[in-house]
Amino acid sequence: MSGGDPPRYQGQGKGQGIEGGPERLYVVTAGRDRAAEPVPLDLVTLIVSRGKPARGMQPEHAAILRMCTRPLSLVEISAYTGLPASTVSVLLTDLVDGGQVETRAPVPAAELPDPKLLEAVMDGLRKL
Amino acid sequence: MVRAGTSTEVRVPSSAPIWLIPPALLGGSAVVALALVPGHLRAAVAWCGAAAVLVVALLAREAVRRGRQLAALRERSAADEAELRRRLAAQEAQAVRLAKELPAAVARLQEGALAEEALSGLVPGVGSAPELEEAHQAVLRSVLEAVEAEEGLRDSAQRAFVNIARRVQAIVHQQSQDLREMEDKHGENPDVFGDLLHLDHGTALIGRLADSIAVLGSARPGRQWQQDVPMFNVLRGAMSRIMDYRRIDLHSVAEFAVVGPAVEPLIHAVAELLDNATRYSPPQTRVHLTAMETQTGVAVEIEDAGIGLTDEARSRAERALAQASAGLDLNDLGETPRLGLAVVGRLSQANDFTVSLRPSAYGGVRAVLTVPQRLLTVTPSPGGQIARAATLPPIRPRPRPMTGPSETPAEELEAAVPRAANGLPQRRRHRAAAPPPARPAGAVPAPSAAGAAATAGPSEPPTEPGMWLAAFQSGVSAEPAAADPMRNGDEATSEGE
Repeated sequence: MSGGDPPRYQGQGKGQGIEGGPERLYVVTAGRDRAAEPVPLDLVTLIVSRGKPARGMQPEHAAILRMCTRPLSLVEISAYTGLPASTVSVLLTDLVDGGQVETRAPVPAAELPDPKLLEAVMDGLRKL
Repeated sequence: MVRAGTSTEVRVPSSAPIWLIPPALLGGSAVVALALVPGHLRAAVAWCGAAAVLVVALLAREAVRRGRQLAALRERSAADEAELRRRLAAQEAQAVRLAKELPAAVARLQEGALAEEALSGLVPGVGSAPELEEAHQAVLRSVLEAVEAEEGLRDSAQRAFVNIARRVQAIVHQQSQDLREMEDKHGENPDVFGDLLHLDHGTALIGRLADSIAVLGSARPGRQWQQDVPMFNVLRGAMSRIMDYRRIDLHSVAEFAVVGPAVEPLIHAVAELLDNATRYSPPQTRVHLTAMETQTGVAVEIEDAGIGLTDEARSRAERALAQASAGLDLNDLGETPRLGLAVVGRLSQANDFTVSLRPSAYGGVRAVLTVPQRLLTVTPSPGGQIARAATLPPIRPRPRPMTGPSETPAEELEAAVPRAANGLPQRRRHRAAAPPPARPAGAVPAPSAAGAAATAGPSEPPTEPGMWLAAFQSGVSAEPAAADPMRNGDEATSEGE
């Protein structure tokens, strides 16, 4: 009686995230696409958990807590969980608000060398 | 009639002499009168008496004959009446038989039998006239054929519906996958990401509608799952398919997984119940969703704080749930709530879910859907795939593939390279070094050339595949072999890892 076969589910997609799960991303963040108030989080902000995942916690939160026993950047969490960065940042905002994770400023970008040093290099090269 | 019958019986044996009595009496009285009257009148009286006796005798005889005729007629009519009554009774029995046989045959037809098969399964009636039996069969046949044609028509309409639903499902499925990819791609741009989520949600709603139509067309709902899915993810999957998913509070969820084939029906049934709950409760109230372990399985509870159901509405809803087996009525497709409950009923029937609607403590409705034990397994990872995946990679450092000296920590480099007084790295001659053990075999032209390596140091290309060039250069310059401090350091780190 069934006319044609339904589209079959093609195993897991790329990554190990919720790609293959029945839920969609908007449910994971309860419909938020960004943090309610701007929290200083960018892709390279380092996240460290300050506690252990509690029972009854949303699995994504628990996963982030477990993952961040060592400092991880937001973009790394996004890669490991397979969730987009915006989703991760919403989840992290929840955790930051609950005091369960701590954010650390990213490692500062490499400073430009001292102009004097560059001059010295130039001189040295000319002498060769 | 009985009285008439007895009266005829009484009259019949005595009827032969009876008609003689009146003329005999008249004859007697005529004789008496003849004796009494004077002589000159005697002739006239005798004539009159004779004529009267004759007339009376004739009349009496005629009366008796008619009486007999009447009796015979009565007898015949009574027999006729009895016969008619017998026939009537037979006909009534036939009608009763028709009333019994017709629904049975129609039911058999609906189970998929052909009209001929349904007819042949009937026992012929006993004692009825052959033409009556024939007429009976003809009525049955024509009705069954009409029903069969109607069934066929409905079947093809249903197939058409399912077909359309399948196509919509396929498009929605593709769309969802594309959207997920786009969400990954634009995950860093909140504006685009938000719009994508919005589209994703709309697509999921379309998908649910297509699934509903497919289910009502007696087909399976959407996609099929190969692996077991944790209950938590199933419930969130159900949440992602309704309009007002933000109003749903997902509380404690039993740590079970649902076996693959039952995942999609369960998601869909819960989604329909959630949709009803959010649709018929005030928009500012919350809807509570839990899944608890029970003796017979897992009970998924959906409680809303709406106005609740009156007894009449509840019985109507339960009827809608129970009637689901009766098939798709295309007229029902217009009415959303009945559509939802019919879908739930259909899914429950196919998968042994039980659904009950009771008044909730919050004042609304408490819908409980019980999933039987045989559709559940123990979940390997309670939180779902994401929780499992997340524990894997970063906890223990893995040996990284050697990518070249850029991996070398800065301190080691600094220690190895002596500095001049102005802080610049100072070039120095290299000592002999053993050929690096972990070279790609094909890339090295001759190990002996590398053994005689000379000033490769700073000019050495930093990456592994370029090392043959260093060996070549050292061979050409033919300087004494020197160690490459950078490579030393590199090997030390790569071994240390």
